[in-house]
Amino acid sequence: MNDNAVFELPKQSYNGQIRAVTLGSEGKAVTVGGESCYPFHCFEGALPHAPRIAMEVYDTPPTDWPDAALAPFSDVLSDPLAWARKCITNYGAEMICLQLAGTDLNGADASAEQAAGIVKNVACGIDVPLIVWGTANHEKDTEVLRLVCQTCQDRKLIVGPVEEGDYKKIAAAAISYGHTIVASSSIDINLAKQLNILLSNLGVPDNQLVLDPTVSGIGYGIEYCYSVIERIRMAALTQQDEKLSCPIILNIAREAWKSKEAGPSDDIKLGEATKRGILLEAMAAWVLLMAGGDVAIMRHPNAVSLVRDMIGEMS
Amino acid sequence: MSELIVNGAIRGARSIVERAEKEYSVVLSKWGAGQTVGFPNTAYYLPIVYAIFGLQVKSLGDIAQVLQHCRRLLPPIENAAGSAYGIPQALDAGMATLFAEEIIEALRYVTTPNLYTKTEDPTGGNLWLGAADDVILRRRGVEFVDGSAPGFATILGAAPDKETASAIAAELQQRNLYIFMCGQNHDISFSEQLNQAGVQVGWSSRLVPFGQDISSTVFAIGFAVRVAMSLGGIKPGDGPANMLYNKERIFAFAMPLGEVSDEWYANAAGAINFGFPIISDSNIPEILATGAGENDIVVANVPHDKIVSRALDVRGLKVNVTSIPIPVAYGPAYEGERIRGDDIYLECGGGRTQMVELCLSKRTDELEDGKVEVIGPDLSDVPAGTKLPMAIVVEVAGRQMQEDYEPILERQIHHLLNYAQGVMHLGQRDIGWLRISKKAVEKGFTLRHLGVILHAKLHQDFERIVDKLQVRIYTNAEDVNLMVAQAREVYAVRDPRIDGMTDESTDTYYSCTLCQSFAPNHVCIISPERAGLCGSYNWMDCKASHEINPNGPNQPVAKGSQLDTRLGQWQGVNDFVLKASRGNTNSFNSYSIITDPATACGCMECIAAIQPLCNGIMIVNRDFTGMTPCGMKFTTLASTIGGGSSTPGFIGHSKFNIAQRKFLSAEGGIKRVVWMPKMLKDEIRDRFNARAKEIGMPDLLERIADESIGITEEEVLPFLTQKEHPALTMEPLM
Repeated sequence: MNDNAVFELPKQSYNGQIRAVTLGSEGKAVTVGGESCYPFHCFEGALPHAPRIAMEVYDTPPTDWPDAALAPFSDVLSDPLAWARKCITNYGAEMICLQLAGTDLNGADASAEQAAGIVKNVACGIDVPLIVWGTANHEKDTEVLRLVCQTCQDRKLIVGPVEEGDYKKIAAAAISYGHTIVASSSIDINLAKQLNILLSNLGVPDNQLVLDPTVSGIGYGIEYCYSVIERIRMAALTQQDEKLSCPIILNIAREAWKSKEAGPSDDIKLGEATKRGILLEAMAAWVLLMAGGDVAIMRHPNAVSLVRDMIGEMS
Repeated sequence: MSELIVNGAIRGARSIVERAEKEYSVVLSKWGAGQTVGFPNTAYYLPIVYAIFGLQVKSLGDIAQVLQHCRRLLPPIENAAGSAYGIPQALDAGMATLFAEEIIEALRYVTTPNLYTKTEDPTGGNLWLGAADDVILRRRGVEFVDGSAPGFATILGAAPDKETASAIAAELQQRNLYIFMCGQNHDISFSEQLNQAGVQVGWSSRLVPFGQDISSTVFAIGFAVRVAMSLGGIKPGDGPANMLYNKERIFAFAMPLGEVSDEWYANAAGAINFGFPIISDSNIPEILATGAGENDIVVANVPHDKIVSRALDVRGLKVNVTSIPIPVAYGPAYEGERIRGDDIYLECGGGRTQMVELCLSKRTDELEDGKVEVIGPDLSDVPAGTKLPMAIVVEVAGRQMQEDYEPILERQIHHLLNYAQGVMHLGQRDIGWLRISKKAVEKGFTLRHLGVILHAKLHQDFERIVDKLQVRIYTNAEDVNLMVAQAREVYAVRDPRIDGMTDESTDTYYSCTLCQSFAPNHVCIISPERAGLCGSYNWMDCKASHEINPNGPNQPVAKGSQLDTRLGQWQGVNDFVLKASRGNTNSFNSYSIITDPATACGCMECIAAIQPLCNGIMIVNRDFTGMTPCGMKFTTLASTIGGGSSTPGFIGHSKFNIAQRKFLSAEGGIKRVVWMPKMLKDEIRDRFNARAKEIGMPDLLERIADESIGITEEEVLPFLTQKEHPALTMEPLM
């Protein structure tokens, strides 16, 4: 063997790039996306904006959370604005995701006006980007998110989920008032692409669009979500599929925490109750960031800190 | 374009531009060039000027250059060559008119600031709202984008009386359109007529009184161009894109009521630039579509009771059907419901009586959308347990509707009726079979509801091809027999047209990438003689599917030059497949099982595999769970050849495909088939025998082995030899 031979790392060649999308209004705006390589493959391409974490806040006090998830927020559970501020001040949240669980038809069924009031209150009280997430009920989300778009027209929100069944009404309102849209489809690259085409036909500008390919927790089909996200990234980066070249958002916290394994259990083999949910959340978020996520919506400060450290080490 | 309209429009444009110039010089001398001008609370300046030129008119001084544009666009008074002006000059004059009118209105905001209310609804006895500000634009514009308001009607002038005015307004409101009202006729305006009739006007009732002067037309078009800029992402200054956006997305039209003056012609010419047709009640020359796919531009002399429906037809406005008003539950959950014995209230077809279903395409003006007629006894006229003959005739009209889609829509009748609780449907065409349960009748279900279901669902599911649809249901023997005879005549024309299509007869094949969710590199290429391997899509289905959903998984593929006639390979298909398979497959052969055969996703109805010993091919269908002569069951075979790979010696295909002429034609076609499960033989017997007869071997099916003969090649071979199976004497497969 020739002594002069130098090992060369085989490199993937890319021809596409993820669009950089700026979330929120000026000042504390956050730019995501923009990468020209697979997740954290900084040796192959550029990763101008490392993945970001949005911390979630609920419009109504959660009733089905394990104690571990409730503990850090026990003093702010019934005040979404205080909750959001705590995430920002105490835990360094760069973005907030306001989950409108209270508008659930099968839950409190809060009216669009109530919801829009809460959103407006939170939006005016914080300066980081605000993601507003509905209940994925087409009729209800249409009603709620349209009003939210109109009520908060002086802020640049990120609203979702916008699905094929309600995209026209919600997206029209969002573009009318300059908000960004979360295009949501159920774990299928074709559906994701088709929805993006529909949205762009409707007139949604490319830089006001992020993608939610649907996520699930560990043990609940995360590998399928991983594959779909990975495929979307391959299409965007190696096949120049412009319709799939948008940043991906992962609404993962609620999936991780609603699993049986994150909840209370007598089974000592499952490990410590205070750590289980945190680790499940952190691992799930990390797995999906490795697949190609750009924004992870997370809940527990410790899980956030674990993932934030990992992102720091990898990028 | 008729000379009368062209000359009228140019004369009108000239007079409006001159008026603008005159008023401008007066206002300029009084207020000075620095005086601010613009419409209230808008970021779009004079919107039409801004949309077309990107010019930001902020002060009186800025107007001078707009007037220069007007002059430039106006054709000279006498055409030097003495020849007549044509459409392009009239359209330019129309644009000059709109710019000049924006100036006139802008000057008015300077000289008479309180002429318009500048509100959403009339206030303090003043009817005229003037330009919509950006708050109204956003709130109302959203409705144009999301489809809750499909568009607007701009009414110029006035109706003959206030009753006619409110009737027209009500009809337009019912279609969710906005009504923009401008100008007057014989000193009365449409807005004033509505006001006198006690109809509430204003943005909240979608009846918008813009202004009394014809120049207020620019508030309507100014609204449209701002929707394109604020919601459609069209850049200011990109005139062509703005016009195209309005033509394609905003279902707007102009409706001049009363005598059409030169100024009106000029405004009409302006509107035509944005693709807004003119529907008039007076006797002016018409400009009608000259070819397929084109639209009428000026339609005249329309009676007032027909003017709204005519306008909607001309503009191609679709009905948006959201609910199905029937007294029983409706959904896929009821598809498998069975109605038996004592539960049956009415039974039609199924060999007991004659039943037939027929879908026919018609011209738009021949149909009244949503009309359902029941001819003959209805459920309330007959006792429980009755048997009646039945004919269901669905008539469809639409710009995109083609005769070829008739069978596709007709095929939907089966599942659409089945979805209703208490309705059971089997069969199709002239062998339909329908049962309606006693419970459904108790809830108030009538035969008319069958038509209501078909109208609503076909509109919903085939939005792009169905503009208008009506249904007739016959239940008397005489009419049913007439319809059966008519249906059979239709089948006699329809069937050969579709069955008779060859791959050579078209330049366009279709792709299907529906399965890429799990077989990311697979793409089906579907040609007239090669149906999709899942059995769900033939060429015609793909064509319709593409028409219905242009962004969907079925895309047209220009087949391009033929690279190999025998194997079935085309340059255009290869190019498409290379891209759609993400670089995985660069070529394949449509007609061969041995040389680079087609890839398979995993959904195939059947798998064909070569049998070297028999010099032939065996076929196994998914439903057959037993062993096959190639040593593998269907499931094992499927996992071997699926996932988007090309596997020489194996292909996936549909049942229907077996009797198509191009099935494995490179290797000799069905003459090579040596083994098929008995159930498959039975299922495809009629079509297979017809194809066998075509190739001169009418008894071929009887010479093909099945599981009763054997499930190994060794067991099958003696049978084939005894039956003198053609494969044994054909050239070697490999």
